[in-house]
Amino acid sequence: METLTHIFNGFAVCLQPINLWYTFIGVFMGTIIGVLPGIGPSAGIALLIPVTFGMNPTSALIMMCGIYYGTKYGGSTTAILIRTPGEAASVMTSIDGYEMARKGRAGAALAVSAIGSFIAGTLGVIGLTIFAVPLASMALKFGPAEYFTLMLFAMTAVSTLTGKSPAKGVLATILGLMIATIGIDLQSGQARFTMGVAEFQDGVGFVVVVVGLFAVAEVFRGLEDIYKGTSAQAMKISGSLWLTKEEWLRSIGPIWRGGVIGFIIGVLPGAGGTIASIMSYTTEKRLSKNPDEFGKGAIEGVAGPEAANNSDTAGAMVPLLTLGIPGGGATAVLMGAFIMYGIQPGPLLFQNRPDLVWGLIDSMYIGNVMLLILNLPLIGIFVQLLKIPSGILYPLIIAISVIGAYAINGSMTDLYLILIFGVIGYVFDKVDIPVAPLVLSLVLGGMMEQSFRQAMTISGGSPKIFFSSAITMTLVVMSVISVLMPFILPKLKKYKEDGKDE
Amino acid sequence: MFNRVSWAMVVCALFTGAATAQAQEKYPGKPIRLVAPFAPGGGADTVARLIGPQIHEAWGQPVIVDNRGGGGGTIGAGIVVNAPPDGYTLILVNRSYGANAALHQLPYDTVTGIQPIILIGETGLIVTMHPTSPIRSIREFVDAARIASGKYNFGSAGTGGLGHLAGELFKLEAKVNLTHVPYKGTGPVMGALLAAEVHTSFSSMVPAIPHIKSGRLRAIGITPPRRSRTLPDVPSISETIPGFDVVHWYGIWGPKALPQPIVTRWNREVARILKTDAMQKWFANEGMEPAGGLPEQFYNRIKSDTEKWKRVVREAKIPVAG
Repeated sequence: METLTHIFNGFAVCLQPINLWYTFIGVFMGTIIGVLPGIGPSAGIALLIPVTFGMNPTSALIMMCGIYYGTKYGGSTTAILIRTPGEAASVMTSIDGYEMARKGRAGAALAVSAIGSFIAGTLGVIGLTIFAVPLASMALKFGPAEYFTLMLFAMTAVSTLTGKSPAKGVLATILGLMIATIGIDLQSGQARFTMGVAEFQDGVGFVVVVVGLFAVAEVFRGLEDIYKGTSAQAMKISGSLWLTKEEWLRSIGPIWRGGVIGFIIGVLPGAGGTIASIMSYTTEKRLSKNPDEFGKGAIEGVAGPEAANNSDTAGAMVPLLTLGIPGGGATAVLMGAFIMYGIQPGPLLFQNRPDLVWGLIDSMYIGNVMLLILNLPLIGIFVQLLKIPSGILYPLIIAISVIGAYAINGSMTDLYLILIFGVIGYVFDKVDIPVAPLVLSLVLGGMMEQSFRQAMTISGGSPKIFFSSAITMTLVVMSVISVLMPFILPKLKKYKEDGKDE
Repeated sequence: MFNRVSWAMVVCALFTGAATAQAQEKYPGKPIRLVAPFAPGGGADTVARLIGPQIHEAWGQPVIVDNRGGGGGTIGAGIVVNAPPDGYTLILVNRSYGANAALHQLPYDTVTGIQPIILIGETGLIVTMHPTSPIRSIREFVDAARIASGKYNFGSAGTGGLGHLAGELFKLEAKVNLTHVPYKGTGPVMGALLAAEVHTSFSSMVPAIPHIKSGRLRAIGITPPRRSRTLPDVPSISETIPGFDVVHWYGIWGPKALPQPIVTRWNREVARILKTDAMQKWFANEGMEPAGGLPEQFYNRIKSDTEKWKRVVREAKIPVAG
């Protein structure tokens, strides 16, 4: 009952005109920051911290959180329109979202992103409202052994992404794992594959790789079309901007499932929105009746991941608020902001500052509504972008990619890298090697290796640690089933069909 | 009565005075670039963005914070070492700078190759245990770790970070063997401590305080040589292990040949800013003690840190990056 009172009081706080205004500024800036690749939520919030110093902490934090979840709405826009993920977690959207745009369904892709984001975002905030305190202990149950087995399970999904040739899929996977090892090894402090380049000590940035693989490679492909004279003058926009009934029906399931996956992954500090959206994508592909459509413009491949990366932000607030543990870059910056205002996220926060916590959580409901209202009318404007002739559009894509990649570290090395990965992406496309397994193994590889070695250090070298808890056991069993599925399923089907014949 | 020497001194004083005044009139004549050698959002970045606007207000020229992350802060530092010493390119670093020379092969001397300007503030790390642990003090921890050599481990936010180096220094000074478990960032370490996944950690003070107050963690010592105002009941490690001293700090320096008048001007202006109410409040929230003081004080801090970490890195055999 007391909690219910706090929730209502929270609305009293966040419905104050000044806080509504800051919610709006936050989500509006978040949308813009999300659209630009490279500049992610961490940088966006960080640049605001000193400006808000001296402001009322509740208003300032409401605005900063608005930026955080707002970026997830914006990130899909460039992913769909120009195959440039505006934000790391939108990487899966740049596969099927862009293919939808090429088929003339850009409006539908943008609409399903916004609506899916809204439903899942709100679902996530409901989860945060109800389960924040009980879920805190779950976040702590995930140690290195649990993370390793979770990554193992996610990694088994790579087989669903490989396409026709398993060998080509393996090639892409291994390349991704190799890139993940570049940089100073977290465990030993040894520099690996840095080739003496100081910029490589921190590893190769994920956004840099995907901007190269997706956006720059797309420009190369477009140049080839122009050279051969086979390019379409501009992409066609067919049908209404809105979702058709069939598209809507196909999206509902992925949105709900994506929302749940995103929230759970979000609660675990250390996993993050990119992993959530990849897991949602592979889940949808597995459940789909026509998995062959994925990669060629399946709406499920947009609805699920976009939902997942939104509910992930609400999930990530759970360990931040209840334990003071930030799960990723953006929440770490938020934590820095809390501390700067003299507010300690952690076990005492809900007791000491219920007005602030619940004001903040409740503002996320309102922020999500604002984002939906903000984003839907923009679809019509954004779609016009596709009418730009390719001679202007491609330089524009390059400009956005270069600015985005340079904005991360201000490093020239990153610009050479997007060029190299652009070439790799183009060659991969020519020889029909799928890019998705590379992205998956790049995201999971580093964490999988590090958590494996952390677990082994803690256990003193005994692999028993991977079978020591119910969580690890479950995940190991799920991984084994997931690996065997492609072999067992066809036989099961055959067995059933044989049975019918008799 | 003035003799010749006195006259000469007066003339010299007038000249230098005039020269100083002239330099002060000219400087700053254009925007100043303050490099923060980390991505936006970290401590050094925030301090730079808090101090920058106040310098702008005082001197009428904007201070542009330029984030040059990478290489553990060595990339940004390299830019400033090689920048023209005209006072328009300076850098705001944290304690990681004191370990740079120990952890990286660098083409310049991190102590004598720069011009220190001012030490901004200092704080320490805190050693905590899970409440279920029987260990209640540094003394008990040292005794337990000596008996069970290598059985106790400590988590850190990454190899080569201050928490790791502090742990390695503790091993050397207390003559114990502990296993190091690096995590990625301070958040995961805090989680590992709360879940009793690791035995202990040398971690940032402020994020640990709510857990100490709510009884989820037990503080057994802090790393600076003096007790902290924020947690006066927690003893300094140096009370058990004399001479133990690990400090987290922020400071500003510039290229080596920076003219003295510019150094003095920056030193005085930042020292003034550190005393403003807004900065005092910020220091209190971050659990920091404001420093200030002359450039020599900052020079001594960099020098002693560099020597200490070179010894630790050598004896603990931590790999040196290229």
